[in-house]
Amino acid sequence: MQDRHSQNEQTAENLPLRGIKVVEAAQGVAGPFCGRFLAALGAKVIKVERPPEGDWSRKIGPFLPGNVRSECSALYLYNNMGKESVLLDWETESGMSALETLVSSADILIEDWDRAYREEIGLTTDRFTSLNSELIEICATPFGLTGPYSRWKSTPIVQLALGGYLYLTGNSSEEPLMLPGHQPDYLTGLNAHNAVQIALWERARSGRGQFLEMSMMENLGVLHQFTFEMETYSGVVRNRNGLQWNKVGPFASYGITTLPCDDGYVAFGASTEDQWERLCAMLGREDLLDDPEFDTRLKRSQKSDTLDSLITDWMKGKTRQEVFLESSEKWFLPVAPVLNLNEVLRDPQFVQRNLFQPLSHPEAGEALYPTFPFAMSEIKPTVARAPLLGEHTSDVLGGLA
Amino acid sequence: MNKSGYVEGGSLSGLRVLDLTRVWAGPLATRIFGDFGAQIIKISDPRTPVANTNGVNNKLNRNKLSLGLRLDKDSGKGIFRDLVAISDVVIENFRPRVMRNLSLAYDQLKAINHDIVMCSMPGFGMEGPYSEYPAYGTTAEAIAGVPSLIGYEPSVPMPTGIAYGDPISGLHAIGAVLASLRNRDIAGGGQFIDVALAAGPVITTGEFLVASSADSYEREVYGNKHTHQSPHGAYKAAGDDNWIAISVTNDPEWMSLRSVADDDRLSDPRFFEFEGRKQNEKLIDQVISEWVANREAVDLMNLLQNAGVPAGRVANSRQFLNDPHLAARDFFVWLDEQEFGPKQYEGQSIPGNYVDKSNWEPSHQMGQDSRYILEDILGYSDEQCHSLASEGAVAFNRELPTSDQRD
Repeated sequence: MQDRHSQNEQTAENLPLRGIKVVEAAQGVAGPFCGRFLAALGAKVIKVERPPEGDWSRKIGPFLPGNVRSECSALYLYNNMGKESVLLDWETESGMSALETLVSSADILIEDWDRAYREEIGLTTDRFTSLNSELIEICATPFGLTGPYSRWKSTPIVQLALGGYLYLTGNSSEEPLMLPGHQPDYLTGLNAHNAVQIALWERARSGRGQFLEMSMMENLGVLHQFTFEMETYSGVVRNRNGLQWNKVGPFASYGITTLPCDDGYVAFGASTEDQWERLCAMLGREDLLDDPEFDTRLKRSQKSDTLDSLITDWMKGKTRQEVFLESSEKWFLPVAPVLNLNEVLRDPQFVQRNLFQPLSHPEAGEALYPTFPFAMSEIKPTVARAPLLGEHTSDVLGGLA
Repeated sequence: MNKSGYVEGGSLSGLRVLDLTRVWAGPLATRIFGDFGAQIIKISDPRTPVANTNGVNNKLNRNKLSLGLRLDKDSGKGIFRDLVAISDVVIENFRPRVMRNLSLAYDQLKAINHDIVMCSMPGFGMEGPYSEYPAYGTTAEAIAGVPSLIGYEPSVPMPTGIAYGDPISGLHAIGAVLASLRNRDIAGGGQFIDVALAAGPVITTGEFLVASSADSYEREVYGNKHTHQSPHGAYKAAGDDNWIAISVTNDPEWMSLRSVADDDRLSDPRFFEFEGRKQNEKLIDQVISEWVANREAVDLMNLLQNAGVPAGRVANSRQFLNDPHLAARDFFVWLDEQEFGPKQYEGQSIPGNYVDKSNWEPSHQMGQDSRYILEDILGYSDEQCHSLASEGAVAFNRELPTSDQRD
């Protein structure tokens, strides 16, 4: 196992995207999250923001303390790490001309102009790729640029609804619950980064640039584990089931369940036969292994409430951490505490991985910023603060003149 | 796909990936490579039962060759090392000690192929106090704090129905591998990548963690209520479990909603601005709930969207698979499975694929490509293949080794 902490600090000059120039006109999360990867891997990312307010995420919280609120949005600060900010109004003729000049020497353009907006400002999909045949332009929108929903509006809850995620979270028969924040946008940004990496690979071999049209709805569609196969192979509609999982269809089993102990909740993930055996051993209830009431996954799933109370009783007097350590170390069961955000920030495993890096921002001050869930032996992605609104306008646009 | 498992003309054609992954996150990642034309050699232990009756294996393992191989046998290891010598990428998602115990850790593979990119996807990472603990997507999201951000009330967390650690980790693996391959081509040399399942959902809740670290954020979770959009939620429409999600992001959208819902109780001028709506959210939710209760979710969605209000039906699996927008965009793909006939699957959301979906290959059976891989790719003789089969190191079809060959 190599020691990734002993390597020399890297700079942008030897990161894999060194020399790559990115123009980012996208706002919010999906496009900017893609741009954040590119910046961390060594690309120069010029974020183009429309005056006077810039990226709309500057107005969306949560906010860090600071006098200039538009510089203190954690949503903006997190998604725009390591970029340069240029104020430029592409809705004016001179602004569009400046954007065209920027893009004509760029490798990548990240934007999120949906069909309605393109029609409103008269922007064709070949506007930029026709200026620069090697340009990789990624356009990430809620529904894509074609099809009956392509002029529709969207928000995270609408996206989760149509993408099949919303239906699956929450108590059965109660209102389905959304995932926190901007999950569809993050997932789309992640795959937009993958799309750009694949397109760079393509370009390195064929010299071709591309216009890449990405739909958030489709992006959720590829990220279901077995939701659709329950339907297409067994004709069973997957339901949501609160703190317990999978009570119907071929995936029914017991053990993916979230239960309270002394200081909070613990998530259990015991679903296979051998995990069931170890779970019974942990609970001191090996007798259940010979009990015909519990001898199939389906039967156990139908007795979830009974089994839940056995675990809950076993956890009495124990903390989440005690349950986690005993289940994982001694019984080798996939079990984890449900942490709150402050606990996540201090979790020893995450700390050991340097998952959070302190950064100082001139307006928003000190905070910890999540880096990446991967560690690499030869590449150390850069970690740098987000720009102030228009901080690099004169540097970048002055250089064009 | 031709016999070799490459699809000609794909952006990733020419890459060879050794895929040791199981369950969801790993196979999801390698599926992306395969969809874009890379040659994926999926390596499975012949003793592992192939549970393809539920369709998930079939869905995730399209465009992959199947090699049945026992890595715990010396001859099996030898085959694996021979493949490493001629491959670009190795991806695995065992516990950290598994590859170490097999003497197939990164440093050992690097000695065979200096340029190899190896991606490990364990639950908690290769090092650290929890590194050998098992994890699922469901437990990964818990320790990452996601359920604490979902719920009907702040005191009871709610897990996602997604096993949310998995897809995030899979998508990160792809980007990290491609960046490493680019690095290899520019600077030379391979890479070891350690993707921790549990760290994935931390990354997609970054803004909440940044704010928490500065003590400027206390999350209050009340169902689907939103800090700066109102009304905002899922409302029960006609039928058994049909819901319509509505979110009003600004005042003009409210005026549009008011005009289509057409209820006097919504005419209060205090509601024309966000603050007034937020303060009276219970009443507004009540009126909307009554309005939608006997209407079809799809009709409501069309009505609201045509009026400029963000709205979406809460699609279940059947509804998603029949969605007209996705059909119009040719999102789905039908693959003719060996045992099940034609099945509908999601296509690929990553755009720019020069591989036509009609050239995609359904999932192969265990060991279906073992002979091709050994003879045509590695140049083993027929005799060697027979010998490997008889000692149980390689499975050439779906027949399992006899019980006395089991450990």
